[in-house]
Amino acid sequence: MKKYLAILLALVLVIGLAACGGTTATTTTDQQTTTTTTNNEPATTNTEPAAEGEPAAATEITLWTYPIGNWGNEEAVKALTDAFTAETGIKVTVEYLTYADGDDKVNTAITAKAAPDLIMEGPERLVANWGANGYMVDISDLFDDTDKAELNAAALAACFTDAGAAYEYPLVMTAHCMAINWTAFVEAGADQYVDRDSHTWTTQQYLDACAALYAYYGDTFSGIYCSGQGGDQGTRALVNNLYGGTFTTADHSAYTWDDPLNVKALKTIYDLQGVEYDPSINGGEEIANFYNGIFKMAYCWNIAQQLNPNSAGTGAGLTATGDEIVFMAFPADGDPALQGGIWGFGIFDNGDAARIEAAKQFIKYFCDSEHTADAVRTANYFAARSAAEGTDLSAIWADNEIMNEYTKLMPYLGDYYQVTKGWAQARTAWWNMLQQVGASDGSEEAIAAAVASFAAEANAAAQG
Amino acid sequence: MSKALRRRENISGYLFLLPSLIFFLGFVVFPMILCVYTSFFDAKLSANVPDAFVGFQNYVTLWKDPVFLKALVNTFIIVLVSVPVVCVFSLWVASAIYKMKEGALSFFRIVFYLPVVTGSVAVTVVWKWMYNNYYGIFNYLLKGMGFIEKNINWLGDPKYALACIIIILLTTSVGQPIVLYVSALSNVDQSLVEAAEVDGATNLQVFWRIKWPQIMPTTLYILVITTINSFQCFALIQLLTSGGPNYATETVMYYIYYTAFKLNNFGYGNAMGVILAIFIAILSAIQFRLAREK
Amino acid sequence: MKITSGRTKAYRTVTLIVLIVLALLFLFPLYWILTGSVKTMAEINSATPRWFPQEFTLRNYAELFSRRSAPLLSLFGVEVGKVPGAIRWLLNTVFMAVMAMILTCITAAMAGYALAKKRFFGRTLLFSLIVAAMALPKQVILIPLIREISALGLYDNIWAVIFPTVGWPFGVFLMKQFSEGIPGEMLEAARIDGASELKTFTSVVVPLIKPGIGALAIFTFINSWNDYFMQLIMLTSSKNLTISLGIATMQAENSTDFGLIMAGAALAAVPIIVVFLIFQKYFTKGITMGAVKG
Repeated sequence: MKKYLAILLALVLVIGLAACGGTTATTTTDQQTTTTTTNNEPATTNTEPAAEGEPAAATEITLWTYPIGNWGNEEAVKALTDAFTAETGIKVTVEYLTYADGDDKVNTAITAKAAPDLIMEGPERLVANWGANGYMVDISDLFDDTDKAELNAAALAACFTDAGAAYEYPLVMTAHCMAINWTAFVEAGADQYVDRDSHTWTTQQYLDACAALYAYYGDTFSGIYCSGQGGDQGTRALVNNLYGGTFTTADHSAYTWDDPLNVKALKTIYDLQGVEYDPSINGGEEIANFYNGIFKMAYCWNIAQQLNPNSAGTGAGLTATGDEIVFMAFPADGDPALQGGIWGFGIFDNGDAARIEAAKQFIKYFCDSEHTADAVRTANYFAARSAAEGTDLSAIWADNEIMNEYTKLMPYLGDYYQVTKGWAQARTAWWNMLQQVGASDGSEEAIAAAVASFAAEANAAAQG
Repeated sequence: MSKALRRRENISGYLFLLPSLIFFLGFVVFPMILCVYTSFFDAKLSANVPDAFVGFQNYVTLWKDPVFLKALVNTFIIVLVSVPVVCVFSLWVASAIYKMKEGALSFFRIVFYLPVVTGSVAVTVVWKWMYNNYYGIFNYLLKGMGFIEKNINWLGDPKYALACIIIILLTTSVGQPIVLYVSALSNVDQSLVEAAEVDGATNLQVFWRIKWPQIMPTTLYILVITTINSFQCFALIQLLTSGGPNYATETVMYYIYYTAFKLNNFGYGNAMGVILAIFIAILSAIQFRLAREK
Repeated sequence: MKITSGRTKAYRTVTLIVLIVLALLFLFPLYWILTGSVKTMAEINSATPRWFPQEFTLRNYAELFSRRSAPLLSLFGVEVGKVPGAIRWLLNTVFMAVMAMILTCITAAMAGYALAKKRFFGRTLLFSLIVAAMALPKQVILIPLIREISALGLYDNIWAVIFPTVGWPFGVFLMKQFSEGIPGEMLEAARIDGASELKTFTSVVVPLIKPGIGALAIFTFINSWNDYFMQLIMLTSSKNLTISLGIATMQAENSTDFGLIMAGAALAAVPIIVVFLIFQKYFTKGITMGAVKG
């Protein structure tokens, strides 16, 4: 017995030691900055010495991506990167982040000076956070005049700082919306308040629908999720739209969410029966609850979700049990202002010209070439540009009915205020505020006090 | 002791210590010194803004930060509740099972030890499911038995969240103390117990007069390991509540992480670490003073 | 006399019932993990949970093993074989826990012996430092430690988790307490026989403190296996994750796909539980041996 145990132990040790010895070797190469010539990589040894100003591209880069449509799906992304590797010889190692813990991971990696070469997300992180804090490479040289003409103006603007540096190259965009379980609405008789054709509703119609749902189900049918920042665009849009409150000033210099109209909205939500502030779930969990029929409404919705609810692959526009899902604008008196999502790639500055060059090739390949159409389709969103190097992108979803229907919402795309300074701290203050509102006695004073203190916290961050 | 011998003692002492010291100084003491150093700076996660020396500013801000104070209180609630409860509970279980037949004894020992070996993350995720507001087993049971009318959002309600965390912590903490108490109780000198029984002492008297003093060293050891264990509740907080709702489960350990990687404020986070370290050092000192007196 | 025994009997019965109920409660999470891992999505999300899986499905395991393929081994940059991420995570975890265990036992046994038996300069100071640092949560040194590990080029490497675990001073404390019991005459005798310091250690000290080393080995193995926090901040690549981290990531990604998460939890828990059940006797013996002197 003892002998076998010893042998087993020794075996584990040897295997493990070898395994991790290997890891050490690869990590070191990952972290080597300017000299990528190690024994493990004969390929790099053969690379020609970099000509001045025109560095040779590295042969290996890393990409970290948030779950943006199917860019969070290993299989789909592998098909894309394999094609890229076949054409350029640059190997891409992909890690998949989540909205629940992705920011923590990236921040940890930055602290450890081990940030990835490429990151895929939106301007609120790439431009307003990591870019503003000096960790990203200015990629404004990737935008020529044709690109600027082809790219959506709002998307383009969000990717540039006031000083003219660009920290993101946009690939896709959309408007975030909410969703209702149509089948459940019909059952509860709440469908009369919904205009399925225009996908819009007034505040009163929303409140009436909620009353009808509660009368029928008698239980929580919708959660204002606030366990973390995941999906906070939904809760912000709901609160802002109900009575027309604002989130920031028009010039994005300060946070204005202590607007009395927002306090009124938060109070209305507090008093709504069946709609509860729920600090035990985040946006992703809300979607899952909606998909599983527990919630009859979801605020964390967009076209990618409509095409593939809960990323479960069980059919477009259907819940787990086959109920019909209808996407809706947020309830508002007058035109709703929808939150935009703009996603693309940014490059972390790891001080290695060769890797930056390779990362730029990657961006060019996926955002501005004939391959852009594939990249956009994988994301399940609209292209951020009309055409790329001669390929027309405006019609890539032409045969998709849901996509066509969704274009009805696009005119309501509101201000992209997520690039306001101190955004990372502000959104943290937002969900903590929702928790405090939910835990309060629901009086207007208590809600106003919570709103005021957290808005002040956000504004302190905006001041620097 | 001769001089040469003393030198030999010194050198060999250091040599034996060396391997351990490299790790201890390198990965505990040295970072701790850096932590104290950085706590005097306004250090942000930013390549643009250089760290600025601010003296004790971070510490001053700390005492005005209601979230930090709340976190400090919660941390001590967790320790002060879980340590005595673990001790009493495991002592009770141990005294109930230590006289059982070998089979039954090891059955109970294994069962109470299982949550420890199941792994903290595995345990945490299953509890998360059981606590779930909408389809968790607890709400289903309590509703079925008529104790509650509406679902309780266990982890989403400030009234219950901390207690829910402590309960999980307890189930993963009692395994080792029970094993320890069982062996300590069976090692109690039986002749003393019998003598006392002949003298007509009640069970309770026998316990307090005879058994308790003899298992004292075990109790002290359990106090130490349970205290250490209670400070390791990071995984529970991070995976279940992220310190919420409304900071009801915020602990200093989680708040440091939160300050560093959500608010990107390193200097402030380090100042919290220093304060926590001081509190823990005091706590350890008290425990060891107690141990020495006994 | 009769009344007393009747009461004792009733008391015993009640105790037994309470114990059995408690045992069921402690077993339940594990039961819920195992059954949950073979339930369908619909059953898991149902507001009326099923005690037994009605429809047995292996979908969760299929899903678990189709995610994040990783090389089985990475030998000095050459990657061998291809396995589901979960398998690689399990291997990483075993490697991590075993290495931490071995290194801790060796270094702590040496250091504990030196602290207990050698009279060298700075001994008391060092021991106080060790005691003070023992209960320190690792979150305190979070930021400096990440920076240090990064400077050493160890970030995102399993050794980044192992080294700080070895540095944690509890092991040294435990071994010191244990080495106090070594009779001085035996050391003296070895010295007179002309044995070198190292020879004395390996042939006299180690056999005497063997049970203590066993206790420490178990303690370190489980602690390291469960130390989610260090793994969280040090490892990022999916091929370098541990099983705990893998489950946590899965939880963040598919936060309500409890079937999948339970499959992961089962994969993490079952191997270590099996090991525990096989070596259960040594486990309990080791743990108690450690405490007798503690």
